[in-house]
Amino acid sequence: MYRLVAILMVLLVSNVFAHGHQEQHDLGEEANSIKASGKIFHTDGLDVIRKMHPEFLNHKRDKTLREGVRTKEGSLKGCVNCHSTKDKKTNQYHPVNDQDQFCSTCHQQVSVSVDCFSCHRTTPRKGTK
Amino acid sequence: MSKTLNRRDFIKTSSATTVGVATIASGITLTSFAVNANENPVTKDKRWGMLVDTNKLTEVEIDGMVSACQQENGWGSEVHSTGDQKPTWVKKLKVQDKATGKITSLPLMCQHCEEPPCVDVCPTNASMKREDGIVLVDKHLCIGCRYCMMACPYDARSFVHEELTDQREHMPRGKGTVESCTLCVHKVDNGESPACVASVNSDAVIFGDLYDPKSNINQTLKKVQSAQIRADLDLNTGVRYSGI
Ligand code: SF4
Ligand code: SF4
Repeated sequence: MYRLVAILMVLLVSNVFAHGHQEQHDLGEEANSIKASGKIFHTDGLDVIRKMHPEFLNHKRDKTLREGVRTKEGSLKGCVNCHSTKDKKTNQYHPVNDQDQFCSTCHQQVSVSVDCFSCHRTTPRKGTK
Repeated sequence: MSKTLNRRDFIKTSSATTVGVATIASGITLTSFAVNANENPVTKDKRWGMLVDTNKLTEVEIDGMVSACQQENGWGSEVHSTGDQKPTWVKKLKVQDKATGKITSLPLMCQHCEEPPCVDVCPTNASMKREDGIVLVDKHLCIGCRYCMMACPYDARSFVHEELTDQREHMPRGKGTVESCTLCVHKVDNGESPACVASVNSDAVIFGDLYDPKSNINQTLKKVQSAQIRADLDLNTGVRYSGI
């Protein structure tokens, strides 16, 4: 019996580690180049933006839509512009909410559906019209 | 190149120059702008409005206004919607004087009422009016009930019946929500005129702050005779018409 529990424990722990050591996903074209240049965009720390981005986005959406405040901070356009990747063959941007693209990776894993992109544009405007 | 420029050439040349200037000074212009207009919430000190002179405005220009709006805001290419389902933010309307038979054409869009019935009836607070008088749909809150479409006396609102992609960056639109003329709020917040107004090459349509005594629209409205459509409803519209 003990042996069984031990095996189970090992399995569980390794499972957790497997998640901890997820392969690094592509951050997106601009985000990659910012990172490569050694600059830091999310100066509050990655844990803050990871945990708080829904609040930042909701706060910003109300400010912009209802009050006309159009600063760049917390703007969804900014996320899309920075975190999109291009298809190497077609040279076109992948929609940022496509499977395994930046916005989807974490949300897929935690089974959260992202509603932003039923209305918002999913690729940067650059290079398109 | 000949020295006499026709009008088209002149517009081309002048716009090319403007772009040049804007690029050179872009950093500076943008920064000063952010401080002036975009960082602070809009206030009640302004009330945006539009004046359409139906005597001056030609039908071709009205069609031009409609396509300028489509181009700017990305509506009009919905392939799965039929007839009445198709979104229409602005349309060409013909009104006829019963006595004389005189037909007048005018562009009709959201009139940006001061007392908007669409806001009164909205159960979720999605239909809203900004402090500066621009009436909008907050699509984050809209549940698509379409009460506002029923309440609007101008038939100014549309419901999106199909999934959309490739929206304009500044104008999110999506299935299941209601939309209407935003007075090109994204441009107004940047100090520009709405796309339809800019598409008319004369003063047949003017845009500005109704409250500002120095603005063209305020001064013109003091001089000329103008009307609100369905003035009997007492909604105090932001869009006014002269010549009807
Ligand atoms: S015209 Fe219609 S949509 Fe526009 S503010 Fe008035 S009631 Fe609302
Ligand atoms: S359709 Fe949307 S904006 Fe219109 S009344 Fe219903 S919830 Fe409000």
